Amino acid sequence: MIREAAWRVFAAEFNDATLEVNGGGDRAPSYVITPLGAKVNRIYAVGVVTDVENIGTDMQPMWRARVQDPTGTFHLYAGQYQPAASAVLSKLKPPVFGAVVGKSRTYTPDSGTVYTSIRPEIVKTVDENARDYWILEACQSLKRRLDAMAEASRMDPPSKEALVKLGVRESLADGIVQAVGHYGMADLSRYTAMLAEALRYLLPEYRGDRSPETVVADIAPAAPEKEPEADAGRETSVLEVIVELDKDGKGAPWDAILTGAKAKGLSKEDLEEAINGLLDKGLVYEPVLGRMKKI
Amino acid sequence: MPQERGLVKDELASHVRDIARALGGKLSEQEIEKELSSYLNVYRVSLDTAKRSIVKKHGGNPANLAIGINKTIRELLPGEQSVNLLVRLVSVNEKEVTPEGQGTKKILFGILGDPTATVPFTAWEPLNGPVATGDVLRVQNAYTKEYRGQIQVNFGLRTIVSKEKADALPEYKGGSPLPYAGTPTPFQVDRLREGTSNVAVTARILSTETREVEVEGAKKLVYGGVLADETGKTRFTAWKDFGLKEDEVVRIEGAYVRPWRGIPELSFDERSNVVRLKGDTLPPLTKLAESPRVWVEDLAERGGGVDVTVRGILIDMREGSGLVYRCPECRRVLRKGACRIHGEVKGDPDLRVKAVLDDGSGALTAVFDRELTEALLDKTLDACIAQAKEAMSQDIVRDELADILVAQPMETRGNVTSDDYGLMMIVQTAKILKVDVQQEARQMLEGLEGSA
Repeated sequence: MIREAAWRVFAAEFNDATLEVNGGGDRAPSYVITPLGAKVNRIYAVGVVTDVENIGTDMQPMWRARVQDPTGTFHLYAGQYQPAASAVLSKLKPPVFGAVVGKSRTYTPDSGTVYTSIRPEIVKTVDENARDYWILEACQSLKRRLDAMAEASRMDPPSKEALVKLGVRESLADGIVQAVGHYGMADLSRYTAMLAEALRYLLPEYRGDRSPETVVADIAPAAPEKEPEADAGRETSVLEVIVELDKDGKGAPWDAILTGAKAKGLSKEDLEEAINGLLDKGLVYEPVLGRMKKI
Repeated sequence: MPQERGLVKDELASHVRDIARALGGKLSEQEIEKELSSYLNVYRVSLDTAKRSIVKKHGGNPANLAIGINKTIRELLPGEQSVNLLVRLVSVNEKEVTPEGQGTKKILFGILGDPTATVPFTAWEPLNGPVATGDVLRVQNAYTKEYRGQIQVNFGLRTIVSKEKADALPEYKGGSPLPYAGTPTPFQVDRLREGTSNVAVTARILSTETREVEVEGAKKLVYGGVLADETGKTRFTAWKDFGLKEDEVVRIEGAYVRPWRGIPELSFDERSNVVRLKGDTLPPLTKLAESPRVWVEDLAERGGGVDVTVRGILIDMREGSGLVYRCPECRRVLRKGACRIHGEVKGDPDLRVKAVLDDGSGALTAVFDRELTEALLDKTLDACIAQAKEAMSQDIVRDELADILVAQPMETRGNVTSDDYGLMMIVQTAKILKVDVQQEARQMLEGLEGSA
C-alpha cells in the first residue's frame, strides 16, 4: 500500500469542502474533496498556532488547536489515540509557528452542515522560513488545481480521461470530476484572488507599513477593520443566543446559533468572528465539534 | 512477446470475472474490462501484473485471484503468483528438508523445459502421483521467485499438476530462444514498465560494467550499465556482448523490461538488434547524466527510478533512526541488543536516518547513511556515542535529528526502489533546500496578473 500524499491546501479551500468520499471496503482510506478537486486524506499545513485548549478532561484530554494561514483557520483535534501530537500540543505556548501532518476529517451535525478538521499525527514548532516555504508550496499546489479546473470548465461534462490527456495528474483529474459533480463548477475568480492574496502575503512590498508582528494578527486580509465596540456588542448578542439555545446543557448547536444570529441581524462572518472572539476570551467552548457552550 | 495480446475474447472474459470475484463485485465487469484493456494495450504490461494491479488499486487482495495465466517458460518473470505451464520434466530429484519449526518432509526439485526455455523448479508439496524424467506435465497455479538472479518455478499448496500425453510437447533440444513476433514498439525511458517486451529504445550509454552470473549451473558474463534519454535513466543488462561503449548513442530493438529491486530494467539478448546512431541524436552525456527532478507520484507509477532527484518535506522520522547498533554478522539493526537472526551479540555502532519524504504528490522512505547523517547533525558518530552515554539514552540522538529534520524542505538524490511497502530511496546526496521564497512568489504573482 503506497502511503497517502500530504496535500498542501490552504485553510479556506479545505474548510470550503463538504464532500467526503470513502474508497469502499473495510480499510480503504477516506478523502475530503475540496471544491477545486484536491483529494485530501493526509494534509500538511504550516501556520500560526493561535490557541490550544483541552476540551476533554484531565484524565482523558482532548486537545483542540487552531492553526491560522493567510486564508483562514485549520481546526485540530488530538486525543489519546494521537499521543505524539497530543504531547506536543499540551506543551505549546501560542502564538507560535507550527507544522502539522495529519488526517483530514469531517463532522456533520444533523442539519447537514459539514465541518472539516485535522486529526494530527505530527505537530512541530517551526520557524518563519518553514511557514513561508509552505505558503509557497500551497500556492503552487493551488495554481495546479486552478489550471486544471480551468481546463475542466471548458469541457461539458469534464471527464477524467480528457483531463489526463491534457497532462493533469490522474488523482487530481479524478478529484476534479468528483468535485464538479458535487459542488458544480468552482468559483475560479474567487480562488484566483485567494492565490494572489497568499502570494502578496509573502512579499514585503505589499505589507505596507505594518510591522511583522501585526501581520500575524491581521492574517485575514479580506476582513475590514472593525470597531472594538461593535465587536463587543456582537459578542454579547451571540453569547445570549448560545445561552438561550443551550436547553439540554450539551451546548447550542451551530446551525441554531446561525439562525439565531441572523435573526439579530448578524451575518455568518460576523457570527464566526464573534465566536472566535468569545473562544479567545474563554467565555464559550466547544464541548463537542459543532456545539457551543457558555463557560 | 506476451501471448496475452493474442488472447481470445473468452479467455479474457474469464480473467475479467476472476478480477471481479477478487474485488467482491466492487467494480463492474465493464469497468474491469476497460481498465484491463488499458493496462494490456496502452501500458503493455503482462496480464498477471495487470490483474494484480487492478485488484490492488481498488483495495482488493491479489491473493484472491484464482485463474492462472498460460505462459511459456521464456515469458516467466520473478514474483508471478499464478501461472499455468505446459512443460516436460527435464530432470527430477528428491531431497529431504526440515523447514524451521516444521517436521522433515520430502520435496522434489529439478528442471522443467518447453520449446522456449528451461527453468529450475521445486515442488514443496507431494504431487498426486509419481513423475519421471520425460513426462509432460500441465501445471496450474504455480508461482515464481528470483534466486541469485535466476527465475525459479515453485509448486505450492494451490498448484495442480497433471500428466499429459508425451506428444503434447515436442522433445526439448536446447538452443537459443525463439524470436519475437512483430516489430518492436518504441518507448522513451520513463515509459518503460515491468513486464513489457519487444520494445525499442533510443538512448545514450552512460556507463558500462561486466559481471558474472550463473545460468543453469554455468557461469556467464553479462554486460550491464546505465543508459539514458531526455526523459530519464535506466539500468540495462545485455545477455550477449554487443560491444556497447560509454557515450555512444544506440537504438536497441527487441528488448524486454524486467524488475531489478522493483525498478524497471532494460534487458536484451541475442534476439535483439543494436543500431549505432550519430552522437548528436541525443543531448550530450554531461546533460543526460544529470539527475532529473521527479514527482514521487510518477516514481510510484513507474515502480522506482535510477538516479533521480526529489524535492519534498521530511514529514516524519521512522523507527530505527539515529544511533543504532548493527549485528556484526549480518548488519541488521539490533532491537533491544539482539539480532533477529543471530540473537544477543555485541553490536557495531552506526548512524542512519529513515524518514518519510513527501512532495505533495506522494511519499517515499528516504534512507540516509552514516556519512549523510553525520553531515546533517554536524557531528561524528563518536560524538553521538559520547552524547548517548552521557544522557544514558540512545534516543537523544534521534530526538536531535527529528528536531533538525522534521518539517524541513530537502532535496535528495539517489536510486528509488519499490516493493509492497512502497518506495524507498537510498539517498546518495542530500541538501537542505534553500529557496528564495520571495522571488518565486513574485514571479508567480506576475504570471497571475499578466494572464488576468
